[in-house]
Amino acid sequence: MLCAALSLAACTKDLEPSADILLEGEELDLKGFGGSFRKLFVLNEGGLGANNATLDFLNLQKGRYVRSSFRKMNPSVAGGLGDVGNDIALLGDELWMVINNSGIVEVASAVDETEIAAIAVPTPRNIAFDDNYAYVTSWAGAYATGTYDDKGNYTISDSSNPKGCVYRIGLKTKKIEGTVEVGLQPEGIACYGGRLYVANSGGISSQLPPLYSYDNTLSIIDAASFKLVQTIEVAPNLKSVWSDGKGAIYVTSMGNFWDAHTGLYVLFAGNPSQVTLVGSGSAIKPESLHVSCSCCADGAVYCIGTEDEFNWSAVHNYYLWSCKTEDYSSGKLSITLYPQTLTGVPYGMSAVKASFDDSSHYLVIGDAGDYFNPGTVSCYALDFNGGEKYWSVNAGVCPGHFAIW
Amino acid sequence: MLSVLSLLWSALCLQAPDTLAAAVLSAPRDLPALKPSEEIQLKAGSASGAVNLSDAVKRFTGVQIKDYGGAGGLKTINVRSLGSEHVGVFLDGIQIDNAQNMQVDLGRLSLEGLSSVSLYNAQKSVRLQSAKEYASGQALHLTSSVPGSDCLRFKLKGGSFGTLNPSIVWDKRLGSRIGLRAGAEYLGSRGDYKYPYFDTTLVRENGDIKSLRLETRVCGTLDKGSLNIHLYGYGSERGFPGPVIRRASGFPFSAERQEDRDIFAQLSWIQDWTEWYSTAIRSKYSNNYTHYATHPEKNPMALPYDLHYLQQSAYVSAVQSFAVAQKWSFDLASDLQWNGLESDAWQNASPRRLCFTGALAARYRADFFRMDANLAYINARDAGTEPARSAWMPSLSVAWEPFEWMELDAFAKRSYRLPSFNDLYYSLMGNSELRPESAFQSGADLYVHSSSGVWRWEGRISPYYNRVSEKIVAIPTVSQFRWTMLNIGLADIAGLDLKGGVSAVVGDLSASLVLRYSYQRALDHSVPGSHTYGNQLPYIPLHSASADIHLGWRAWTLCWNTLYNGERWSRSANTADYYIAPWSVSDAQLSRCFELNAGLRKFSISASLRVANVFSYRYEIVQGYPMPGRSVLAEVSLQF
Repeated sequence: MLCAALSLAACTKDLEPSADILLEGEELDLKGFGGSFRKLFVLNEGGLGANNATLDFLNLQKGRYVRSSFRKMNPSVAGGLGDVGNDIALLGDELWMVINNSGIVEVASAVDETEIAAIAVPTPRNIAFDDNYAYVTSWAGAYATGTYDDKGNYTISDSSNPKGCVYRIGLKTKKIEGTVEVGLQPEGIACYGGRLYVANSGGISSQLPPLYSYDNTLSIIDAASFKLVQTIEVAPNLKSVWSDGKGAIYVTSMGNFWDAHTGLYVLFAGNPSQVTLVGSGSAIKPESLHVSCSCCADGAVYCIGTEDEFNWSAVHNYYLWSCKTEDYSSGKLSITLYPQTLTGVPYGMSAVKASFDDSSHYLVIGDAGDYFNPGTVSCYALDFNGGEKYWSVNAGVCPGHFAIW
Repeated sequence: MLSVLSLLWSALCLQAPDTLAAAVLSAPRDLPALKPSEEIQLKAGSASGAVNLSDAVKRFTGVQIKDYGGAGGLKTINVRSLGSEHVGVFLDGIQIDNAQNMQVDLGRLSLEGLSSVSLYNAQKSVRLQSAKEYASGQALHLTSSVPGSDCLRFKLKGGSFGTLNPSIVWDKRLGSRIGLRAGAEYLGSRGDYKYPYFDTTLVRENGDIKSLRLETRVCGTLDKGSLNIHLYGYGSERGFPGPVIRRASGFPFSAERQEDRDIFAQLSWIQDWTEWYSTAIRSKYSNNYTHYATHPEKNPMALPYDLHYLQQSAYVSAVQSFAVAQKWSFDLASDLQWNGLESDAWQNASPRRLCFTGALAARYRADFFRMDANLAYINARDAGTEPARSAWMPSLSVAWEPFEWMELDAFAKRSYRLPSFNDLYYSLMGNSELRPESAFQSGADLYVHSSSGVWRWEGRISPYYNRVSEKIVAIPTVSQFRWTMLNIGLADIAGLDLKGGVSAVVGDLSASLVLRYSYQRALDHSVPGSHTYGNQLPYIPLHSASADIHLGWRAWTLCWNTLYNGERWSRSANTADYYIAPWSVSDAQLSRCFELNAGLRKFSISASLRVANVFSYRYEIVQGYPMPGRSVLAEVSLQF
């Protein structure tokens, strides 16, 4: 049937740009969301060991939500998208997906989700691009350090080095073209001004002897020489790194779940050693600026946090806040705390412009529910006005990562 | 009459026809109100065919075995959807337990040396039970056979996937009152079975196991009493093949290995002091060591764990039984157990638990009517945490025999299972404020049986309703890196078990057929309004069934078993992504016994050939863990 769909799509190429148009989906009233964009991609992480990472997309022109499109469009890829989808990013018409426990960076066409390349990287986490390369953080070192040969076989050279690394992948070759060692279990990565900023979490080391503690450093790599140039202490258990594109680098800390709270830190490319906790010295204190998940859009970082982080009860109220740099020379920030609260389990978020020429934004939030069964993706006004959902749809397990095309 | 019945209920395939004598039960006042819902009688020296306990119980009504595949794969039992934590496994009245995760791996328990395996829903209540037997929601009772006259027995099983399973048992009379049994059993298997993976066929890797079991029992007959001492040692080294997932080529699914060493010593002394007063003293010490390592040097995708666990437990139980009148008897049981776990998996937790279990039991036995009313109490205190967890567990069961061919019973029971050490103290998930998980069981059974001429037939209809509340569930909290355990689960389970059997003996020929069917509606009622509310619980099929055929002719026996499991889901989101297709697996076994007289010695030899999964049906019980296709196991047993 799929073959028929493909050939039919080929015949009607002028009418329909993509072969995936024939996939069954759920019709949604988008209430104006999407504008002139084509698709909102949703990467559902799935559960560790369950091999249920899935790629869904929302066809913004037709208002149709299509689930598991990668598997449907690539029946010959055994195992579908794989186990634990940890990051997604668009580069032109290429969709790069980081499949953590499959050890694969999957490159697919944004047009119809068909596979372009599958690149083996041990336990990859997050991805960033510059003009020449894709950079992928990897926990590999938490496990073992090794090298790939020409045939893609991996040989372990050191099985006791706990440090992770960044893999550099040629954008055209789709091959690994170098690695550089960073801190413990690196997570987020951002690229700005010829430098890569890598957040080291130590999430695995915190559970294991001999350290039993989190990493607290940001590794800075010079992209041209692909060498580590600086390591900066920030806070325990770093997670995401966002560049606002103008010189400010934001880093989120997940805290230690015990006595160190979550928070957002900012540093500037010109003077990276000086790290500031967002909220310190401002009218809105860091105690009310917690971070469960975050995203970056148009020079601003949006965070969702909850007040009583160390209370392990089932129901939490979440609030939204944002941060933007007003003055790059003085480092003055503008912080907005939105009054509306949200319940559920916000797992991932994305701020999306309604259209190319529209300045108003929407917020797309993935709710993980019980993390075991499929979650939901909902769309809100960016200012969270009234907490009213524009639309909401059942997605896959742990919908956590988004890309708009 | 009842002894005949209990035999009829048993799985005939595993029961040699001449075990009738072994099934004779003692005085009527020792009978429980509720019969075991299923029971298998095993005869020493005969070919049972089953490799382990999970093979033996998987066909029982209402039972779901979670099997990760292969000889070394974890096998746990779930009865009527209460969850495996609610099923107590008792060896000669003393629990085989695991405070760390509250689950018992049936794959590690051998059938060697057992005389019967009985499954009880709700309440077993016979005289001189330990308090823990009253406090267990459901129970699988394993009864060891008594060492007989002097003999030596060798058994060798071997077959597919490099499976080799030799065992030896030596029975020796030490005087007229003391019997000794010493046994050893080795199990080795490569576990390298083939399974389909999309268009190709792969071979399961890292699924091998080597294990050795050594046992000694001393059984003494006292004047109006008995004394049993049991020493047990088990060691194993195995690989965990891991779930089948998409994995970049060159990386294995898993290189995880685990070593185990389990040792226990248990003692029981049962004594009738007078006509109306009896006591039982039971005691056990167990020491379980586990070393689990993920071997990152062999698998760059592995989380780098290299962990050691040592669990110890000390247990003592004292029971008094008073037969106050012809029809009434009362028991008072008190158990005390200490558990400790040490590990390098936690930074600072080294949990210790002292648990008291008490039970007061009243029994009424008349000719056609039996009643048990029990009240159990549990109080568990973990070192460093307050307050203690405690719970009262009442149960009531009645049985009535209106006609000789009919029996009715009904029961209701509330029981609790304590949170495990993992639930409470695991560094990233533990929640030390957990309450015990509660299970309410109710049900009824209608038994009918008859015989005429060479024919015997029997039937059972068992409707039930169970509710598990304050179910301990792992949920994430403020971030995906910080999960916790909470008492938020709620499940309602309504079901119907049906069983029917017919057997005939004509001259040298015997034949029997047993059919079982289970219907289970097990609904997730945890979070009203969520899209999983009202859906079927993970891994519970709505329909399951089995058929056993047993044919005997002189020394020949042919058994056939077909097991059917209906469609089910691996999540309470009952969607296509988590759908697990129905499966049906058939096993066949042909065996033959020989008696040889060589000079003064008398030998008995039995040989059998078992083909498991005859049609090589491809299936998964746990999603991501393919089960083996057709396999062959040959068995020779020699006794002299």
